[in-house]
Amino acid sequence: MEKKKDKIGVYVCNCGTNIAKIVDAEAVAQYASTLPNVTLAKTYKYMCSNPGQEMIAEDIKENDLDRVVVAACSPNMHERTFRSALRMAGLNQYMLEMANIREQCSWVHKDRKAATKKAMALVSGAVHRVLKHDALESMSVDMNPSVLVIGGGIAGMTAALELADAGNFVHLIEKDDHLGGNIARVDLTAPYYYSAPDLLSDRITRTMEHKNIQVYLNSKLTELTGFVGNFAAKIQHMNGIPANEAKAKEVAIGNVAICTGYKEFDASRVTHYGYGKLPNVITSFELENMLKSGKVETKEGKIPKYVAIVHCVGSRNKEFHTYCSRVCCMTALKYAHEIKSANPECYVSDVYIDMNAFGKGHEDFYKQSSKAKTLFLMYDKENRPVIHKAGPKDDCEMLIEVHERLSGEHIEIPADLVVLMVGMEARDDSHEIAHLTNISQDKDGWFIESHPKLEPVATTTDGVFIAGTCVAPKDIPDTVAQARAAAARILARISKGKIEIDAVFAEVNEDVCSGCRICNVMCPYSAIEFDEEKKKSHVISALCKACGVCVAACPSGAIKGRHFTDQQVLAQIEGIFTDVEYAEPAGVS
Amino acid sequence: MAIRVNPGYIEVLDKFGAEDVQMCYQCGDCSTVCPHADDIFKFPRKSMRQMQMGLEERIENSLEPWLCYYCGQCSEQCPREADPGETMMSLRRWLISRYDITGIAKQFFKSKTSEILTVVFIALLTGVYLTFYGLSGGSLEVYDGEGAFLPSSFIHTFDLTIGGIMALFLLIGALRMWYFTMVKGMSEPVPWWLYLKELLELPIHFFTQKRYAECDDNKDHKVHMPWLIHLGLMLGYVIMLLLVMVFIESLQAGPEIVWTVHIPAYLATIGLLAGTIYFIRHRIRKTDYVQYKKSHSTDWMFVVLLFIIVITGIAQHILHRTGIMEWANIIYVVHLMAVVPWLLRMPFSKWSHLLYRPLAMYFASIQKAAIIRQQKLVDPLSVTIK
Repeated sequence: MEKKKDKIGVYVCNCGTNIAKIVDAEAVAQYASTLPNVTLAKTYKYMCSNPGQEMIAEDIKENDLDRVVVAACSPNMHERTFRSALRMAGLNQYMLEMANIREQCSWVHKDRKAATKKAMALVSGAVHRVLKHDALESMSVDMNPSVLVIGGGIAGMTAALELADAGNFVHLIEKDDHLGGNIARVDLTAPYYYSAPDLLSDRITRTMEHKNIQVYLNSKLTELTGFVGNFAAKIQHMNGIPANEAKAKEVAIGNVAICTGYKEFDASRVTHYGYGKLPNVITSFELENMLKSGKVETKEGKIPKYVAIVHCVGSRNKEFHTYCSRVCCMTALKYAHEIKSANPECYVSDVYIDMNAFGKGHEDFYKQSSKAKTLFLMYDKENRPVIHKAGPKDDCEMLIEVHERLSGEHIEIPADLVVLMVGMEARDDSHEIAHLTNISQDKDGWFIESHPKLEPVATTTDGVFIAGTCVAPKDIPDTVAQARAAAARILARISKGKIEIDAVFAEVNEDVCSGCRICNVMCPYSAIEFDEEKKKSHVISALCKACGVCVAACPSGAIKGRHFTDQQVLAQIEGIFTDVEYAEPAGVS
Repeated sequence: MAIRVNPGYIEVLDKFGAEDVQMCYQCGDCSTVCPHADDIFKFPRKSMRQMQMGLEERIENSLEPWLCYYCGQCSEQCPREADPGETMMSLRRWLISRYDITGIAKQFFKSKTSEILTVVFIALLTGVYLTFYGLSGGSLEVYDGEGAFLPSSFIHTFDLTIGGIMALFLLIGALRMWYFTMVKGMSEPVPWWLYLKELLELPIHFFTQKRYAECDDNKDHKVHMPWLIHLGLMLGYVIMLLLVMVFIESLQAGPEIVWTVHIPAYLATIGLLAGTIYFIRHRIRKTDYVQYKKSHSTDWMFVVLLFIIVITGIAQHILHRTGIMEWANIIYVVHLMAVVPWLLRMPFSKWSHLLYRPLAMYFASIQKAAIIRQQKLVDPLSVTIK
């Protein structure tokens, strides 16, 4: 090990005027240079710029510095930048400490004198802390190129084919006895009337026959252990064999793509609609079956004269789900077209809350439906329509009573057949999947992405990706896009071959550990395992996010957070409480 | 009590010319741009909605379609090409057919063949009858006075008979309109004295059509041309009708010009000729004004028949005064062959708006006064409606 020199360089950034406007950066640098072990202290306009970084690197070499303090913005912003500057100069990147004098100082204070004094204190804390830093080495682990895809719908197959075509082996688990998912239940798709079976059949054949894809039908995931790059998954076949007796197959994989899809809302939960009681109130999926068979008719075998389509069944309502299921509006318009073209004499009423025609070609599709004389009737989301049987004198089977918003009238709509546009719901077993793969769900049961805008297919668990309608309701194009995105993310990692793991993680000192296992349950990332033989806890460094919960929780003080040791934190506190003096230079207001 | 939606109604209205009403998605642009829509009469949006939903009774009881003069600004603004202007026009056609108890109007609006056949049949019947009558008692060489082919006293009686039939049906229509809009259409009975208070509205709207003048959105125009032409045509028509019905005998006497009746007749002729030519020209060109873009078969029947009447009227007058009696008589028969179906058709056609529209303006001001009065009774401090 290199001999400790303890020569510190302090760099105070002006951040243009962001910092310098409130904090007297020169005075801070001046003060820093008086602190023990500080060899030099400088200010610069933009420390994060290339000249700024180069200045640090050159100083390290010329002045033989072995520790660096940068007083600038939040480490969230530029810690990586300055770490690379240290590496450039051949110094271990963990010999850096940042003092946040922007977000925590200049941006939140107005008093120049007090702000400058606070910046000095923060710099003092950083100088004290950096003296206690150890040189740490980040680890890298091999990436297993095999992938586990859960779910054999359009998302799962798309992701699997993308990965397999690139030469990686894919294990595809499907709970049903066939591939295709929910799309296999659909006839035509909106708004261009592509046939759903045509969209699927080619993909199913390719998936089944692909040499790089192993399809497990009637199967489910029962266990997932390990960490990114090196997972082990247990797959269990369920056909006819009781789950506990069936022998699970264990496969080694590097990444997981979860594409488990959705289930439809149970229409009988809405009592107003009489689903299950009135024979000619059907769900959208039941209508799909009729359309597939080519006959739209009532249970009595009559061609309906009046068909009513009711939107948002189970969606956009406080009682069931407040979210929008995104596909039903266009599907309803598709039904209106299909019913009308099958029976031109038929009148179609479309009972909706709002028409959500947001996608490509959707507005035109809506316009076409208007042209085809679909009667659009708007209801209030908190004031649901009521469906009941018509009287003997009426020329229709049922009447839908509703307060129509656009006319302000209380109306009744004649109907021989009512189609309920059932929304999407998270699958019943989604919490099981979430638990097995250690990802989170929102209040509606949808899997949570690690960033809703910038990381739509990643999760907080490294190596576990989500795509399609298990994340939130979406249509086929969006689902396919997400599946390909997840595949692309996984392929990028596979092509790297190895995966870097930050050296900042918790470590258990096995000599001190009593085996109480308190930390095992506290860890939010399931990163601590228990060695039954040694009766000691062990941190899986690849899974650890360095949150520090276990460090605080351990009653024996056996766990150390690397880079956040007690000595480092205490030294920092001590540094901050050092008395600082600052007299404003004359002429500066 | 819920009212029943009739999804099939939209197809009925198709025949009346409302071909695009299904495109409306109720954004309300039309009512915003309309110079006449207000807090009480929210057309065209409201009428469009009632029509889409097939709320026949609501439309039957409404005055809104009559309050529109069809400037076409709504149709120009409409983001969905639902053509609210033409829709309001179609509703007026439909309302005429509802005010009419015979079912003739409905038949004419729905089938142009039946209308053409009826008009031709009545024209031929008139021609045959007048020819036989003329030949039986007079000579084709004599136009007026002793031995005239069509003596003016006979024509006077003939006109009054035809006019009487027309007036009867029109009056029945007006009564039904009153019953639908002022009795069935009002939630509370209208006090009788409001009919007197607002009575002046009737002649004002009839003679000035001032609301049509307000339709112009271009403030640079000194006058709104469609309004001026429409007013000229209407006044010309009314003056001519009055002259023909009351002063036909002095009008037809010859050969000297009777200035007291002929000056108003010439003025009326100018109004009629200018109006019909203007309308025909714009209906053919289709580009200048939105309201002339779409022409229902009954619109064509209206202008073409009127044009024939005007031209033959002028021709017989000139021929008579220039002494070509034989041709004057022949053209006169042709003139009457157009006049008779025209007059008989009036209560069942667009032209009935001559009465229905000013009546609707009158009723509307009564309704407005009644509604404001009711609101004041409920809450004396309530904000008055414009």
